[in-house]
Amino acid sequence: MNYISIPNLLVMTKKIIYISFAIFVFQFSFSQKKAAPIEEDITLAKELKEQFPKDHIALVRSADYLSFGYDKKNNKVTVDHNLEETLINLDSRSDIQLYTFYDGQSKITNFNVKYRTQKEMYIYPKDEAYTSNDLFHNDSRVKYLSLDFPLLGYKYHTTINKKYLDVKYLTKLYFNGSYPIINKTIKVEVPVWLNLELKEMNFEGFSIEKTVETNSKTNFKTYTYTLNDIPAMYKEKNAPGPTYIYPHVLILAKSFTYNDITSNLFNNTQDLYNWYVSLTNALENDNSVIKNKVIELTKTAKTDQEKIKNIYYWVQDNIRYIAFEDGIAGFKPDEASSVFNKRYGDCKGMANLTKQMLIEAGYDARLTWIGTKRIAYDYSIPSLSVDNHMICTLFKDGKTIYLDGTEKFNAFGEYADRIQGKQVLIENGEDYIIKTVPNSNAGFNKEITDYEFSITGEKIVGKASKKYQGESRSSLLYYLNSIKNDKKENFLEYYLNNGDGNIKVNNINTSNLENRESDIDFSYDITLNSAISSFDNIYYIDLDFDKEFSGYNFEDRNTDYVLTSKKHIESKTTLKIPEGYTASELPQNISFKNDNYDLSVQFKKGDNSIVYTKKFVINNSKINKQDFEDWNSFNSKLNKLYKEQIILTKQ
Amino acid sequence: MRKLLFITFAIICSASLFSQTKTEEEAKEFFWGKEDKYKTANTIPNEWKNESAIIIYKNENYDFHKYGKRVTYKTSIRKRIKLLDNAAVKEFSEFSFVKRFNTNKGRYTWKKKGDNVVGVKIIKPNGDEVIIDVTKDAVEEKGETKVAIPNLEIGDIIDYFFYKVEPFKSTTPFTFKAVETTLAEEYPILDFKLYFETENDFFVNFKSFNGAPELKEIITDKNNFRRYSLESSNIEKREGARWSYPLLEMPCYKFQVYFARRSYYEDDILGFLSEKEKIIKTEVSQDEVLDLYKARFSSKAKISDIKGFLKDKTFSSEEEKVKAAYYYMRHHYLTRFIEAYIVKQADIVYYPYEYYETKAISIQNRNRFIRYFTAFLKRQKISYDIVIAKKRYDGTINDLLIEDNVNLVLKVKTSTPIYLDLFSPHTSINEFPALLEGTQAYLLETEKGKIESINKETLPISTYKDNVSHKSLTLELNDSFSKINVNSLNKYKGHLKKEIQYDKMIYSDYVHEDYKKYETIQFIDLVKKKKLKAKYSKEIDALIKKYKERIKESLIKSAKQEYSVSKISNYDYDIKSTGRYGLDSYFSYRESYAIEDQFIKKAGPNYIIEIGKFIGGQIEIKENQKNRSENINMAYARTFNYDIKLQIPEGYTVNGLDKLNKSVDNITGSFISTAVLDGETLVIKTKKEYKSTYVPSKNWSLMVKFIEEAYQFTNEKILLKKK
Repeated sequence: MNYISIPNLLVMTKKIIYISFAIFVFQFSFSQKKAAPIEEDITLAKELKEQFPKDHIALVRSADYLSFGYDKKNNKVTVDHNLEETLINLDSRSDIQLYTFYDGQSKITNFNVKYRTQKEMYIYPKDEAYTSNDLFHNDSRVKYLSLDFPLLGYKYHTTINKKYLDVKYLTKLYFNGSYPIINKTIKVEVPVWLNLELKEMNFEGFSIEKTVETNSKTNFKTYTYTLNDIPAMYKEKNAPGPTYIYPHVLILAKSFTYNDITSNLFNNTQDLYNWYVSLTNALENDNSVIKNKVIELTKTAKTDQEKIKNIYYWVQDNIRYIAFEDGIAGFKPDEASSVFNKRYGDCKGMANLTKQMLIEAGYDARLTWIGTKRIAYDYSIPSLSVDNHMICTLFKDGKTIYLDGTEKFNAFGEYADRIQGKQVLIENGEDYIIKTVPNSNAGFNKEITDYEFSITGEKIVGKASKKYQGESRSSLLYYLNSIKNDKKENFLEYYLNNGDGNIKVNNINTSNLENRESDIDFSYDITLNSAISSFDNIYYIDLDFDKEFSGYNFEDRNTDYVLTSKKHIESKTTLKIPEGYTASELPQNISFKNDNYDLSVQFKKGDNSIVYTKKFVINNSKINKQDFEDWNSFNSKLNKLYKEQIILTKQ
Repeated sequence: MRKLLFITFAIICSASLFSQTKTEEEAKEFFWGKEDKYKTANTIPNEWKNESAIIIYKNENYDFHKYGKRVTYKTSIRKRIKLLDNAAVKEFSEFSFVKRFNTNKGRYTWKKKGDNVVGVKIIKPNGDEVIIDVTKDAVEEKGETKVAIPNLEIGDIIDYFFYKVEPFKSTTPFTFKAVETTLAEEYPILDFKLYFETENDFFVNFKSFNGAPELKEIITDKNNFRRYSLESSNIEKREGARWSYPLLEMPCYKFQVYFARRSYYEDDILGFLSEKEKIIKTEVSQDEVLDLYKARFSSKAKISDIKGFLKDKTFSSEEEKVKAAYYYMRHHYLTRFIEAYIVKQADIVYYPYEYYETKAISIQNRNRFIRYFTAFLKRQKISYDIVIAKKRYDGTINDLLIEDNVNLVLKVKTSTPIYLDLFSPHTSINEFPALLEGTQAYLLETEKGKIESINKETLPISTYKDNVSHKSLTLELNDSFSKINVNSLNKYKGHLKKEIQYDKMIYSDYVHEDYKKYETIQFIDLVKKKKLKAKYSKEIDALIKKYKERIKESLIKSAKQEYSVSKISNYDYDIKSTGRYGLDSYFSYRESYAIEDQFIKKAGPNYIIEIGKFIGGQIEIKENQKNRSENINMAYARTFNYDIKLQIPEGYTVNGLDKLNKSVDNITGSFISTAVLDGETLVIKTKKEYKSTYVPSKNWSLMVKFIEEAYQFTNEKILLKKK
């Protein structure tokens, strides 16, 4: 749950990070074995290992069962989530941690492990605060215990009961989990007094069986979904958010009826908005403390845009990202005055401060909810799982401009890729406005490199220039500004020579590295000490030390590869051919182009030079799984080309 | 996040909130009260304006007070820091500490707790001072208090203190943890003051080194109360250089404090105490060393097992007997229990030790080792000395001040002396920490098991010919020039061996050789009940299988790291010799794998092979590292050898051998390589020697020469030319 404002932070990461073993020291449990595996289970384990060779444990069975109750005292619909699983060991031995998370809105009522024979294990889970590097503090806690599987085919049965005190915090159930599952059922027992929609997401391509049974006696409608032979969630870097990849059921509790009175939960987006607004309406918005700062920031500004920029950039530069995601603080922004005084806050706090400062300066600014690209949904779904971020929207002269205080060094009117093309829910009194953050094209993020090389002795010497625009600029500025003053110079050298000691970089000139609105320009002298191999008066030259995308081969990958932003990389290298030398045949040009990619590498022979150009444009900030075949084919040619040497022969 | 003198395991207790508040007031007054001379110290020198942060004032205090057996130990630190960039603001924007804690000193009590108090204030560039309420924005997490510092910006000064009050009761003498530190730290320091306060019954050892100012006594009017200070200013930041021991190179100070309530307790303390409390001890004499250790070592132990082992055995010399006894003891008191330890840890057997004889003893600490081994020596009438030595990174034995720094080794006075250290599973005869080698050490000389006199000697030192790694690689290119098949025999001896032995072997790779050698039985054969034995046996086999899988993964990872390659396939390995009986015996293992898509470049019809990369990653000396004022200190001298054989593919000739012949050889070390064609095989031999453990800074340029030559070798390539 709760809001996330760090790019690429996946909610699931908390579950993945938690399990860390030292390589040779297993985290052993203290159980005493009671039941050796039976032959049938050993055979099953062997079969499953063939099916899932990378996994150590599989779930023979995993059954989610949801039932609902009504908490009269708090007027809340509650959920009992019962998860029963049978785990089997696919290796000679495995040691795992079994864990479950809870927080202020949920509790674990039962955490039980049994041996294969159904004998109780009497092992009690540890309970501790879940800490995350990205959040200063959150109210998540974890209960966990260590389980060892001493033999192949060893089994445990586990039961975890979790109670949600308010139905709105249980938003979805996935079919996939940390381990492959042979038989998965999700059973939801909906009482007649509860209007609940089960929205089936990403079911296409999966043979999920669904049954619906109505029991007129108990007044329950029972939905059962079944799916077999499910792989574990992929542990792949740069993967899209899980809501894009895995089949899941969204739990949309719309309304309930008690004593003939029907109360809306999240029946539609308006209800979701109403709840959000009920939290923001509770803000005091006493702006007296920010007044002077707003005056200071705007008094000498000549135009509205300048005033707005001054405020926006001040928030970016002066408010540190520190998040307290404790209970309702996960959803309710902090007071602008508090964020201002503390000089820190999370995305909501920064959005609210930006808004209040702009209002103070006389502009129409609104709080705005948004789900970053990690989330597949839009606001047609009334659920807390739709969004994970907050920004500020400015309406000015008929234009809509989005301001994200968490995006340090983002220029006014520019948007980070993670919010581009995503719907926003903008506050508008009792009503709300839905809009979409504009997309920018890859050309906006240009990275342009130009090398002018000649050969001296057996070294390549020359001049280089680099230009960074858009997100390539803002991310580099952010990084450079996080480095210690006394280490900056060395870092820049290291950055420009790719950390390669054979490449010397001198006389670096830079543009203003604090100006987020103008391009970054670097120019410098460069020497490549080991790019030439000389044998029998023939030069073999490895001209390219950047070799962009050389490691981007996706042969064994299951998910799209998500880039941090859309890419537009252009590079031109001119090598002057020394007098008395001629260039032998140059490597063949390669290219690949479709709607998403424009990739090409070319060599041209001039009168006394070789011009080597590269262009890599990726329009959608990701490499789609369905394009992997084409991509890999290009990538293999690219890598082959990267290995080919330019040959200069003495005439 | 700044972790303030983090103390693990604390229980939050609200019982004495009063004392916490009182301590807070006391701490605040102590640092920021009327007497604070640094209240308005806000300016920084111009020459440091490009730093990340500057410590305007650093103040450390160590106060030792007592009332009878009740001790109050207060330690505190204050830093007033000018923050000059984002990195510094981030560094100081979050603090975590434990408010209340159980002391680990003196007599155990659950009632009395120690208090940690933290104070933070921010001084804005205009001089405005804001005291942070550290309780307001704090959260408690896993027993820690975490505070996010509000309103912190570049240009601000953060002035914080950490004040720890630790009361405890001790009727017996108590030794406080030693402190050894350089004056310099991560950021430059404008002003530094360290204060010490002690009373009677507290004994202080304190000494400054390498030009650090001396501790000075501040005259007080009380007879039983003493105050000292050490002051310094304009301390440049500490920058870590490779092969540098800061405590040898930079101004630093070391101290340790002892509490002994009655004079007869003073003798019980394992430490070098001054004659009187009012004298700060700065030196430890040879006689004091003898006095301290004279009665500390016993040579009484039941060693009937060793007697049994030696019975009916004849040895060509006393040395042989001592060696045999050492390795036997390593097995008898250590390695025969390893399986039990593992099966216990893996929860396969609940209490595996029940299968051993009732009074089975394992030796895992130095004193016990000395007791048992000297009992054996005494019985055999073999004389020995106990070596009192000090690791090199910390100064010489003449600078001995803190007993914790003492390392014990046994010197057996056979015709060729044998040095013995407490054994770990692979420790050999004459193997003791490399950092003790070549140092001057005290010898506690014994007669009939009793320490009688003391002397000095220089401990033997291993050379670059003793600490050797040797890799023999056979390389073959596949037909399509996309893969290099590598077959490698890797051998290590001397001090280069130990870490590799732990990295590459699992327990089952070596315990059985001891069982075989000593005709003892493995754990599983100690279990008599058939059913249990079968169960345990299965589970142990499964565990070993898993360990093997894991170690293989780790070996693949380390092969990748060694040659900086992203993809290797068909990995296989086996241990050839364990190298566990003798420092000069090789640990060796063979590995084979294929490196894919790397080190081969196409050049028209020819291929360029980056053959130089096969000596692994070499140290690169950056321009700014070429001038060096610190001396070079390394753990031990060593040699790295590579023999590389590359089969030249049919239809190709090889070109470029000249650049593979390199030679830099000087007093500090060498890099020598040769390349010859032997039929259709290119044979390359390289040798990199670090000839000594210590190189004075004036010879750094000589070291740079051979290091750079080796680095340059990694850039060298050969051409496979199509015939």
